[in-house]
Parts: sequence; C-alpha cells; structure tokens
Amino acid sequence: MYDFTLLPGDTVLAIRVALVLFVFAFLSFSVIIIYTLVKVRVYSKHHKDKLKLICDVAYFHEKGKRDDQEDSLYISPMDKLEDYGLVAACSDGMGGLLNGEVVSKYVTDSLREHYPYRFDGQKENVQLITEISDKIYEEYHLGAGATLVMVHIYDDYLNFYSLGDSNIILIRNNRATLLNYKQNYVTLMIRKFAEGGIDTVDAYRDTRAKGLIDFVGNHKCNVLKTSSPIRLIENDIIIVSSDGVTDSIPLNRLVNHIHFDQNATGIARSIKYGVKTRRNPRQDNYSAVVIKMKRSFV
Amino acid sequence: MIEYYTFKHRGDSLDFLDEVYLTLIPSMTVAIFYGSHLSEGARSQALLFSEIINSDEAAKSISDLNGVMEEYLEQDSEYLLLRAVDKGIACFRRGGVCAKIVRNGQISILPNGYFELSREDRLICATSNFYKYLNDEGILADALVADSCSEWMNMMIRRISDQNQLKCGNLSAVTLRLEN
Repeated sequence: MYDFTLLPGDTVLAIRVALVLFVFAFLSFSVIIIYTLVKVRVYSKHHKDKLKLICDVAYFHEKGKRDDQEDSLYISPMDKLEDYGLVAACSDGMGGLLNGEVVSKYVTDSLREHYPYRFDGQKENVQLITEISDKIYEEYHLGAGATLVMVHIYDDYLNFYSLGDSNIILIRNNRATLLNYKQNYVTLMIRKFAEGGIDTVDAYRDTRAKGLIDFVGNHKCNVLKTSSPIRLIENDIIIVSSDGVTDSIPLNRLVNHIHFDQNATGIARSIKYGVKTRRNPRQDNYSAVVIKMKRSFV
Repeated sequence: MIEYYTFKHRGDSLDFLDEVYLTLIPSMTVAIFYGSHLSEGARSQALLFSEIINSDEAAKSISDLNGVMEEYLEQDSEYLLLRAVDKGIACFRRGGVCAKIVRNGQISILPNGYFELSREDRLICATSNFYKYLNDEGILADALVADSCSEWMNMMIRRISDQNQLKCGNLSAVTLRLEN
C-alpha cells in the first residue's frame, strides 16, 4: 500500500488535477467516437437511398380504330413504392371473342384488389393469376379471354408475369428486347421444326399460328414468370404494352421513336405519337405503361 | 445433379461442321468446336477435335487438354472446353466460342480458368454465330423464366428464328444448370 499522506500537498493536487483531466479527455474521446459512428451510419443510409433506382412512370391508353377499348391498365399506388415496389400491368381483351373489355377490366380490377404483392412470392402471385383465369373460365367457358403482362419492380430488381402475347419490353443501351415470349402456336411450330433440323419459314406463313395457346380465361393456364428477378440499371426503360403498340411500331424500330434524355412522360408521348402517325386503318387498341429507372438524388 | 440440353442445327448450310461434345462421366465435360467458321479444312479439324475428346487425353485437366488441342489443331481453330471441378467449373475458350453465366439477375461471360458456382447458376455455351442473333437481356430473361434447360434453349431458338427463320448457318449451343 502507498501512503499518499507522505506526499507533499502540491503533488497530491497535481495528481488530482491530472486524474480529472484524464477522465474529461476519456469522456470527450468516447463522445466523439459515438458521434462519428452515428454520423457514418446515418450517412451510409442516406447514401444507400441515393444509390437506389426510382421509377418514373407514365402511360397512354388509346382506342385506335376500334369501337371499344378492350385494353385495361393497372399501376400500383406510387406512395407505396418504397414499401411494396411498383406493380404495372396491361391486359388486352382477346379479339374475336365477346366481352373483351369486361374481361380485361376484371383482370386489372382483380390485381388492384389483391395489392400489395410479395416481391419474392412469385408462386403465390402465379396462383392468384391462375385463380383469376379460372374464374373467367367458369364464367365464359373459353368464350372470352384476355392477355396479361405484369411487372413488379422493387429497388433495382424486376420480376414479370405473362399470359398470352402482350409485351414486356426492356430498352437498355439503345436496344429494345422483348422479355416475355409469345404463347402462340408459332412457338410450338418453331420448336418442332428446330428439333427436326429444318428451317422455320412455314411457322410464320400460317396466320392461324398466331392463335394463343394460353391466356387469362384458359383453364389451369400456364403463367410465365421469372423464378428470380432481373437486375435493372440506371436509364433502363420498361414498356408494358398491348400488341397494338408493336403491331404499328416493330420492336427494332421502337428505339427510333424515343430519346435517351426523355423522361417516362416524354417516352410515352413519343410512342403514342409514333403509333398515331402510322395511320393504320385497322389500328387496334394501343396502351402501355412506360417506366424509366432513374437514379434518385436527395 | 446436372441438367443440360444440347442444340445442333445446320441452318441453311449443307453440312453441320461444328462439333458439340458432352459427357457426364467421370466428370461433366462440354466441348464445342466452331468448325463452320473455318474457311477450309473444317471437316478434318472437327474430326480431329472429336478424336482427341474421345481419346484418353480427355481425362487430362482442362489446361493439359488445351495443350493437346493446340498441338494438333490449326492455329485458327476456335473451341470451348468446360469441365465441372469440385464445386465449380474450369473453362478454356479460344476464339468465338464462349460460355455465359446467369447469376443474381445478371449475365456475364465466363472467364478462362476456374470459377466457383452457386446453386441456381445457369450456363450457356455457344458459338458466336448462335450469340449473333441474341442479346444478353434476351438470354437473361429466358434463363430466368425457363423451368428447364430445354425450355431455355427453345426460347432462345424462337428469338433467333424470329430474325432469320433459322436460315443462318450452323447453330451449336449447350444450356446447363448445376443443382447441388
């Protein structure tokens, strides 16, 4: 044991002052460390938010030369974007069948009722679409039907669902790609011809081959879906449309109608104008939801 | 478990001059020779490639096997060698034949060397004539939608067919999915 009483008074005072200064310095250091950690965490969160892609959305919905509007669109609430992502869908009543407008509207209304959707719940979402299809089948027994294309975007990822021959188009690096394949007899014929080692010219000659093999309203339909999502990048443009758009503007010419700098509204306006100026005397209904992925800056 | 699907089509050519080889024993090996690209001697080169692959040399490692290929084949030969090793894949490509991997919603070219694979990874190996009529976004979307390798291949064939009705020279490709 040390006997501090033997130390001179000045030295004891100096030790006490030193101890107080040490405690003060330690506390100050701790406060600075905690403050820095909190700041870094807050900055990281802000920075992460800044790096997120956000959806700029626009749409058009036109009758063309038809008497009725058989296309129907659905866009999920934009104020729920942060929590549940964006869901956009287009349903096109099948030509030649009755009640096209009723069925397509029923499809999009049903999608609206079941919002929100789980982004990684592809199987349950497919189940829901199948149930909608089965209900239409029970009502019309193949006397009515519609196509359906639906995208679900969450952060930088995209899942899609498709039935029939409507379009989900991704424009990246000034190149348009149809993401979903058309569920028609052409697809089956190409498969057979390719397996047989011959060319596929005849698959495109027969106009009846464009008939759908699956659609909403078919019993136990086969919904195309992404099993895992596609990564999106800045300036990607996603177009969810009825075939009235691509019948007038083929996929390879679509990029000629838009400009890299345009926002979703500008792109939608350009495509709509492009279809209109084709002056097709048999122009089908043409509708689309245009989504442009933009970097968010706070 | 390995799921795969091979596709060979002569297109509008008189003969099929590529070579597609796939074996699962003792280890999964894919070899594609791009013979239709050669201006002359394609048939003899393809035959030689096939003989090497079917000989005892095939048991060698990918780099040793490539050494054998370089020794016997012409300098302008283009081919891809790919083998499952442990939990990954060893790859060697020369010229316009390559493998692409679909992972985490993205697609990229498989580099030469060893590459660790994870579950749900999908691979496509094909000649540049096959890739010429496709783009990465289309291959990626088809891979993520398809339930099987054959379905994935058929979707890509539809894309090629939409452009040229398969009148486009030899088409050779293999789709693969390694399920642990």
